[in-house]
Amino acid sequence: MNVHQLLSGAGPHDAITTEAAQFRARFTEWGWGGRDHAARLAPGLNGAVRPLSQFAPAPDDVLLLHHSAGSPRLERLLAWSNRKLLLYHNVTPPEWLWGHAPLVAVHCALGREQLPELVAHATVAAADSEFNASELRALGAQRTEVIPLLLDRAPLGPPGSGERAGPPTILFVGRLSPHKRQEDVIRVFALYRRQHAADARLVLVGDPVTEAYVERLRSLADQLAPGAVTIESQISQAELGDHYRAADVFLCLSAHEGFCIPLLEAFHFGVPVIARPSGAVPETAGDAALLVDDGDPAVIAELLHLAVTDAELRASLAQRGRLRLDAYTPDVVATRLRAAVEATAGAIG
Amino acid sequence: MTEPEEALMRARAAAAQMRAAGAYADEGTIDPEPSDSITLAKLYEWALIEPDLRDVRSTRRYGAPMTALKHGLLRLLGQYHSALIAEQTRFNVNLLVHLKRLEDRIEALERRAEK
Repeated sequence: MNVHQLLSGAGPHDAITTEAAQFRARFTEWGWGGRDHAARLAPGLNGAVRPLSQFAPAPDDVLLLHHSAGSPRLERLLAWSNRKLLLYHNVTPPEWLWGHAPLVAVHCALGREQLPELVAHATVAAADSEFNASELRALGAQRTEVIPLLLDRAPLGPPGSGERAGPPTILFVGRLSPHKRQEDVIRVFALYRRQHAADARLVLVGDPVTEAYVERLRSLADQLAPGAVTIESQISQAELGDHYRAADVFLCLSAHEGFCIPLLEAFHFGVPVIARPSGAVPETAGDAALLVDDGDPAVIAELLHLAVTDAELRASLAQRGRLRLDAYTPDVVATRLRAAVEATAGAIG
Repeated sequence: MTEPEEALMRARAAAAQMRAAGAYADEGTIDPEPSDSITLAKLYEWALIEPDLRDVRSTRRYGAPMTALKHGLLRLLGQYHSALIAEQTRFNVNLLVHLKRLEDRIEALERRAEK
């Protein structure tokens, strides 16, 4: 069997591209062929993903459509009569982006506009969280499968010893983008630092939606917590692992998440997680994170203080995090993926 | 020991206690809703095209020479880009002026209809 993966965009640091590569490795292991193509290619992929213009499937091939943004020339894709497995990763609501990155916002708006058509043409509809699957059902999908994001922990390295030394370090990993609310993270961190730990550090890791937005974050950090905030982009998985090992708490105040894989990364490293329960966050985190939907930054600052200083609370969260990871092992995800692809290939029509 | 289920309650109590003691004054709230509405003033600002040169860069790890090359090319093509930007800006501004006139007319017509 041939399974071709089609992505709206691909880049070397992109989570969906990474997942597609992991899927491809599994497909090869199962003796399946096929190629991966994307409408937009960022530099640095070294030929792993081909341009969509070179896509030409045989009639019996299965198409796996990863949907995370608008796909130009979607009608050409849908015109192929092949069986299609739609895997919906969610699309950021464009309202967050019009003011900062209008081109990205256009792709997001287009992605949301195209979703009903994709659902209508999908042989099987799947999503990487129940939250995302509910959007597909709202658009008429009769039956939806959930295939969680595949986290490959090996490149991140092993967890650290767990012994804390030095000033408290707060970490957030996620695209530097308005809907991830790094601005709120900086505000809460500044309060925590002022009230409890003058030497605390905040590390924000992620690729910027625009350089101007990163400048805005830097300016806010300089104003509220001068010298205490580090912003890093384009780092390797090994360097990301080092940041998790050095972190005391992972603080996620994102307003929209379709899955939130950094939560699982934090669990892997035994780092206590505090998160806003938006989108798929409660589902991904289960009982292993401290969820807070308070609008009062002082409450979150106090929760941060508790998570940094209460050793037993930290140990309890680390233990729950390890258990939570069992639901997302590569084998669990691979089994669901295989079942969905085989259901697509075996479907009549 | 604090159980994870109790942590939020304890944090709320601690915040209230500290606030009563004078800490955390006027911190406001954090609002997880998109806050940047697109006003006509914002559209005027955007109509005047000013590409951010910081976005023209190499995304590779050791891409400084490539970034320098890209900036050099931009300088060489400066005249062409200036002409392009001028034409696009002229269109944008005129379109916005037209939009503003239409808005004003609608407003005037609505006021007249209300009387």
